[in-house]
Amino acid sequence: MTMAKANQAAPVPRASLTARAPDFVRSYGIFIFLIAAIVVTFAISPAFLSGANVSNMLMQLAPLGIVVIGQTFVVLVRGLDLSVASVMATAAVIATSFGGQNSDAALIFLACIGMGAATGLANGLLVTKRNVSPFLATLAMMIVLQGLRFAATQGAPSGNIPSLFRQLGSATLSGMPYNLLVMIVVAILFGILLHRSAFGRRVYITGGNPVTARLVGIAADRVTILCYVICGSLAALAGLILSGFVGVVDNFVGRGFELDSIVAAVMGGVALSGGRGSIAGALAGATILVVLSNAVVMVGMPVQLQIIVKGLVIIIAASLYVRPARA
Amino acid sequence: MLSLKGIHKSFPGVNALTDMNLDVRSGEIHALVGENGAGKSTLTRIIAGVHQPDSGELSFDGRAVRWSSPGEAKKAGIHVIYQEFVLFPHLSVAENIYIGHERRNRLGFVDHRRTRRDAAELLARFGLDMDPAALVQDLSVADQQMVEIAKALVHDVKLLILDEPTAVISGPEVDVLFRRLRSLRDAGVAIVYISHRLEEIFALCDRVTVLKDGKYVATREIGAVNRDDLISLMVGRSLSDLFPPRRKRSDEGEVVLDVRGINVPGRVHDASITLRAGEITGLAGMVGAGRSELAFAIFGALKTSAGQVLLRGRDISNVTPARAIREGIGLVTEDRKGQGLAMQLDIAANVTASTISEVSRFGLIDRRREEEIARGEIANFRIACRGPATSVSLMSGGNQQKVIVARWARTSTEVLILDEPTRGVDVGAKAEIYRIIQELADRGIAVLMISSELPEIVGMSDRVVVMREGHIVGELSSAEISEEAVIGLATHQSAA
Repeated sequence: MTMAKANQAAPVPRASLTARAPDFVRSYGIFIFLIAAIVVTFAISPAFLSGANVSNMLMQLAPLGIVVIGQTFVVLVRGLDLSVASVMATAAVIATSFGGQNSDAALIFLACIGMGAATGLANGLLVTKRNVSPFLATLAMMIVLQGLRFAATQGAPSGNIPSLFRQLGSATLSGMPYNLLVMIVVAILFGILLHRSAFGRRVYITGGNPVTARLVGIAADRVTILCYVICGSLAALAGLILSGFVGVVDNFVGRGFELDSIVAAVMGGVALSGGRGSIAGALAGATILVVLSNAVVMVGMPVQLQIIVKGLVIIIAASLYVRPARA
Repeated sequence: MLSLKGIHKSFPGVNALTDMNLDVRSGEIHALVGENGAGKSTLTRIIAGVHQPDSGELSFDGRAVRWSSPGEAKKAGIHVIYQEFVLFPHLSVAENIYIGHERRNRLGFVDHRRTRRDAAELLARFGLDMDPAALVQDLSVADQQMVEIAKALVHDVKLLILDEPTAVISGPEVDVLFRRLRSLRDAGVAIVYISHRLEEIFALCDRVTVLKDGKYVATREIGAVNRDDLISLMVGRSLSDLFPPRRKRSDEGEVVLDVRGINVPGRVHDASITLRAGEITGLAGMVGAGRSELAFAIFGALKTSAGQVLLRGRDISNVTPARAIREGIGLVTEDRKGQGLAMQLDIAANVTASTISEVSRFGLIDRRREEEIARGEIANFRIACRGPATSVSLMSGGNQQKVIVARWARTSTEVLILDEPTRGVDVGAKAEIYRIIQELADRGIAVLMISSELPEIVGMSDRVVVMREGHIVGELSSAEISEEAVIGLATHQSAA
């Protein structure tokens, strides 16, 4: 009988309650999860919510959050971008390649964003026009950028970044990190773009079903390419901010961000199959990652356990979003 | 050998089979015929254990049986050969035959020599002349099909079901297939042969069972019927009152779309068709005749290699779908979920999907305006829902279809193409969709309606164009339209 039902073409209207419960979990589960994680950690270690620690966590959140916003666009159109960490490191190297004067800041900013956008453009063109899988295309771009960095820096980057960026990356405004303000502005702007604009609607339709998108007159390739450009540009911005946060620049600023950003987006309900998810959810996912890394330290967990716990929590959170099998 | 008595099977909302009978003897080739939707595939799936009947008796080999899985039916000796092959092109015939049942030596490794020897024996036993060492990729399609059949012969097959085996082959290959099927029959295998092509049934089969609307109609010795008998058995039914009243047309509308000799490589050959304002043109033919491809080519979703598409005299060949939409052409595709809807979005977003810039200001979507439009369409098309923000994934097939038609009714000022507009839709929604199509035509839009349901074609069309194997093979004027005439054109085997 169950087999017969699964083969049935016409969808049966589901009872509203059963249909809405998973929807609710999918929409808000991540926020409940986040609050639970915060409450539990606070109960074990009250210092977790001390002003200094919160400020510290928020400062860590900003660069990851900015990358996650970009990654969300790409995942929404059924892609993923492994080159973001490499773009971040390249942006950091670019930032040190000038005199280190604040007067160069605008130039550095434009050069970094341009580099990120160009990388995204290359990724997008490979994925759409050459039909390369996003995994391979962005992996290749990651390596190409790495090679360029090594060539440009002779292996060891030197030089300083302008103090303006260092301020932006590590200073606070009465406890509120500047870099978080940048992330909030980015989140609002790109949230409007994704959730309120015509472009955003095209992103969802394209990601949900590229064939449908083409048949309703959407230039699906162009939409996809733009998503990669957005992701590359935001990664470059995040790289600038992160280099200001860590102060020293090496060839691997942003290491690990490619996977963290994908994990955060997926934990936040952005479907790898495309077309589903929101910026707010993805940012909640990023926050969970940051809280988790901090919490395992705060509760005094042995280092060996920390990574295991992080992995387990990711598995639990991500499995909340597995779509229920068709009734 | 196989006997079904009084089988009932229903799916939510549809009675797929009612009081179905079938009786297949060993050593015969038994044809199963009926229109699309007559219940042939459901029947096949019940015999093969994919579906379980709600009631009725199924007996096989003299014993009453009730399969709980396809595996059980297979173990008993029932094998189905579908149109798609599951073969490994870079492996040999012998290796493909024994895939999953590899011949092993004592060490557990694959014994290639034994594989080849057993395969040769098997092929010889059933009179199939084929080289077991040949690579499958080098075989003709007909031979690949035989490999697929030979895979079934590895097991003790008693009943072989072939679903439209000649849909993928042609001409001399068909003769080869028939010769081999006859030698299988003579070796004692019972064969159920499903086909649309009546000529084949007369050439190959011993008896024929006709189905219609999920019901058993008749079983006949092939010598006791002729082609016309079969067609009237398949069709013979009065038109229901589903269709809107025919209106009298005083004059022909002007030509809106003029398609001249277009070609889609491998799909559509030299097809010409004209659509007139205010007219519903039915496009009939069997599944795979190239009808959807013709529609896609007009809409710019498939490239044409020759010919012209003229919209009011202007050449719009090979434009993009985006441009076709701007020119006032709409396409309601056959595959609602795969090509029509954005399943994860709501009604409003789906209705305005082809006009996103129209509901945006300064690049931002005017949600209020969008919902207003959606509310208008919900009322106009009588879409059952909780409001414009209802997710389309929660709606019934009929209501989903109305959402798509509503979308295209807004932009199709010149031409609206509907591909199987009522597939998988309940009767109530069907009547509603027919009414809407008629209204659109009355507004002066040129409508092209593709359908495999003959009553629909006959009940709705002002004119019918029939396609077969990629060619347009005939046109019927209003006075000439009948189910018999359409099916005659659609199934007639060309002399070549």
